Amino acid sequence: MEPIVQVENLTKKYGPLTAVDDVSFQLEKGSVFAFLGPNGAGKTTTVEILECLRSPTGGRARVLGYDVSKRSDQAQIRKQIGVLPQDFNAIDRLTVRENVEYFGAMFDRSLDPDELIDLVDLSDKRKELFKKLSGGLKQRVGLAVSLVNDPQLVFLDEPTTGLDPKARRDVWKVVEQLKRKGKTVFLTTHYMDEAEFLADTVSIIDHGKIIASGTPGQLIDSHGGRKTLVIRGAGEEGMKLLPESVPKAELHSAGDIHIPINNGADISRILISLGGTELAKNEIEVRRPNLDNVFLNLTGRRVTEEGELA
Amino acid sequence: MKRIYTVIKGHVKSWFRSRSTIFWTIAFPILLILLFGAIFGGGSQKFDLYVQNQDLVVQGQNLVASPTSQAYVQVLNGSQAFDIFQVPAAEDGVSYMKVDGRLHNRGQRLLVVPQGFEDSLNRNESVSIRFYADQTDQASSTLTGIVFGMTNAFAASRQGTPPILVQTESIATRSIRYIDFFIPGVIGMTLLTSGVFGAVSTNGRYRELKIIKKLATTPLSKVEWILGMIGYQMFLAAISVAVILVVGRFAFNVTAVVDVYTVALVVAAALLFPGIGMVLANFVKDADGAEAAANAITFPMMFLSGTFWPRETMPDFLKTVAGYLPLTYVNDGLRDAMIYLDPAQALNNTIIALGLALGFVILGSVLMNWKEE
Repeated sequence: MEPIVQVENLTKKYGPLTAVDDVSFQLEKGSVFAFLGPNGAGKTTTVEILECLRSPTGGRARVLGYDVSKRSDQAQIRKQIGVLPQDFNAIDRLTVRENVEYFGAMFDRSLDPDELIDLVDLSDKRKELFKKLSGGLKQRVGLAVSLVNDPQLVFLDEPTTGLDPKARRDVWKVVEQLKRKGKTVFLTTHYMDEAEFLADTVSIIDHGKIIASGTPGQLIDSHGGRKTLVIRGAGEEGMKLLPESVPKAELHSAGDIHIPINNGADISRILISLGGTELAKNEIEVRRPNLDNVFLNLTGRRVTEEGELA
Repeated sequence: MKRIYTVIKGHVKSWFRSRSTIFWTIAFPILLILLFGAIFGGGSQKFDLYVQNQDLVVQGQNLVASPTSQAYVQVLNGSQAFDIFQVPAAEDGVSYMKVDGRLHNRGQRLLVVPQGFEDSLNRNESVSIRFYADQTDQASSTLTGIVFGMTNAFAASRQGTPPILVQTESIATRSIRYIDFFIPGVIGMTLLTSGVFGAVSTNGRYRELKIIKKLATTPLSKVEWILGMIGYQMFLAAISVAVILVVGRFAFNVTAVVDVYTVALVVAAALLFPGIGMVLANFVKDADGAEAAANAITFPMMFLSGTFWPRETMPDFLKTVAGYLPLTYVNDGLRDAMIYLDPAQALNNTIIALGLALGFVILGSVLMNWKEE
């Protein structure tokens, strides 16, 4: 079966700047794909090429079997994809329902607005003007609007940026529902936890290049580094109490002691040696690496909450 | 078609729900009409009278008005009923009076003392004075009575002189009050502001809110979007013009003529000013900047294009500037069509306004990036 999105050696240059640099990947039908990376990495540019908003400088991209560079194919793509642009706002002085209807009317066929409003859990805000909604609710209107044409493929560009944790979770719930309905979701994000939670496949992009791809598990296994045993809140004094058989321990914030481990044998050995000390009274947990560690290990840098490189 | 209709409906609903845009398109023009009408209203209802004395005699090297004709004009003037304005003898009296009356906002009535006035009277022959006035104008008919009376009094004061006949010639003029002049200006001004700011908002602001980006990923095309915006502007223009005309009619009894030129000019304005707004919104990408630019353009244009006062009273260099301002042609055309009843002039201005409208809409459409980059 042909992949729902197939990108080969895609490149986009703006003068001397190469925003997207020889990128290749593909999306299988029914999967959630996350494009993960900091601001300015080339995520939005890539997505907008696939949405036929920008034209590539080089390479090929096919969406739903259509060529994004062909005019006649672009019309077909526009009919069949759903798009939530980054920082999207619907029309301020239309109600939730009117907005869904408005964007639905742009397509020859569209879904029942009320069903979509129920799907994003805005039933009680149906008649509220868009401008009166909070950021999280606005974003859910955006999600409803991106689904009006019952698309097989949905592009969500930074759908949770700037939202509070509760609102982010609500967006995640909607994405999970889309997946259950068999939609293919192309998500861009700079939140590592979001990619890890939602995505079947993740491609990490930095400076226009894909630096790693795989399932979150695969990425963590191959690039995440070792697991860590954490003794919570032990502090400077705890460090002194550590037996000599436990090397390489580091003191982190909130007085947590981090001890790198390689395998289960390491864990039991360390726990036994701690058994005779006061440290055994502290909370002890094994922390597995996450995509933050993967990104740090691959690039030597972290991504902040705001999506900047630090 | 469904898409264009949806775009129009969306704009109209948003407009209807925004107090500030309702204010600028409806309440503000009404306020201006009431205010300016109250301040300047009725001022030109006095009995303005143009007098052309053609009875010239040679005196030394010069031609001067004959003593008898001068005495007659003195009598008219002595009545205190008129403000008399002299028309040079060499001019075509009626057209001179029409131009000058329009320019200075005066009542258009002309009394012509014919060549040979003194001679005929001295020979005891009867003589006729021609009096041009619009008999449908109430002030003119009152004034005609006074002219008759004063003329009879003058004739009676000269013993043995046969009666002087006053031959009234009816002309189609309109006695233009300030408020009559002002109403087409308010229409021009309202179309200017709602057009320019409307287009800046629906193009600049909607771009910033990513609404245009979102629409560009749907089957909606750029042409459909622009047609939708223009349809909305036409709707706004129709409402504004209707409201202004109704208020003018009922508050100040302004009878503006709505003919084919009026309609064509309103259509032209509803294309031209959004066209200017589109050009702005696409040159100045930041929506706040585009709004500032719109302010910088609309306010001077409003004043220089003769919205509030006749342009003829401005210094020459400002008149030259006004000649380059699109609103000038809309204002002038609307006045020609609605108030001065001068179709030939209205046609000229309509053609220029429509030409500018097409130019700006096409330029704005070409400049507008529907997609990115």
